[in-house]
Amino acid sequence: EYEREHANGSWIPISECSPTTATVCNVTEDISASVAYKLRVRAELGATRSQWGTMKGFFNRAMTSLTPPLLRVLADGHHLLVELADMGPSFQFRVLYWRKGQESRVQQKVTKEVSSVLHLGTMEAGAEYCVKAQTHVEAISRSSSFSPTQCVRAQG
Amino acid sequence: LTAGDKIFHFGACRVFLSTTEIRAGFTAIKANIQSRDPIRTLSILSHPHSLHKVKSSDRCCITHQLFTFYVDKVFKHCRTEDPFVNRKISSIANSFLSVRRKLGQCREQNNCVCGEESTEKFKQILANYEGLNVTSAAMKSLGELDILLDWM
Repeated sequence: EYEREHANGSWIPISECSPTTATVCNVTEDISASVAYKLRVRAELGATRSQWGTMKGFFNRAMTSLTPPLLRVLADGHHLLVELADMGPSFQFRVLYWRKGQESRVQQKVTKEVSSVLHLGTMEAGAEYCVKAQTHVEAISRSSSFSPTQCVRAQG
Repeated sequence: LTAGDKIFHFGACRVFLSTTEIRAGFTAIKANIQSRDPIRTLSILSHPHSLHKVKSSDRCCITHQLFTFYVDKVFKHCRTEDPFVNRKISSIANSFLSVRRKLGQCREQNNCVCGEESTEKFKQILANYEGLNVTSAAMKSLGELDILLDWM
């Protein structure tokens, strides 16, 4: 957006993809501000070049819809654990858990750390506990919807 | 949350800003940019007085002015022959655009006024800037970005 408004509509080449034979290019770092970006691409064959193909409208990361996290809930004896799939450095996870039947007493844990299993709490013998989670990206102040609820039963 | 993602207090203004990307982008090109600034004895932002002397009540107004200064005057004169540096400057410039927008809204909502001292301070910054040829002034200002970020 800066280039459109203050630099005569100049374009910034992305060297990793200019040129490239791949059909995918990671531009995450180049669209790291919460402003309206335009992206364009063209094909080249030797000295021949196509017209620029430019996206309709704009992309603003602040409009991103986050997907719910992938998680796996585990009962390890009377310990309630959850495994979260890594989604990259910008993501935080908000995990809600409760004892089945006591939906009014939901507890919460927020974490950025996903490399290890997250210990949520200890369970009463034979009781069933449920867990769901959502992702959150602070830089754009957005959260995903919640994942489907998963329940496990403690031993005993 | 990293240190750069937080609520910043500028006088009456409380603004959630993510400066992590700005600082990361600047860190990636700081040495390159500062190597292009031969005049080490002069500062745009800190001459003759540091930004830290600005009164708390004036922070809202002068921060918005400083971001406007960078958007309107500095970044456009920082084009280099290095594509990587240009990309980082673009990321920083667009982040400044986003932050300035938030500061502008906050300044309006809180009716932040510029006190005499901060008005004088900003005039001094512009005088320091205009005292050099535009490319040198722009590169020096860009090279002092950490002074601004640290002060914020």
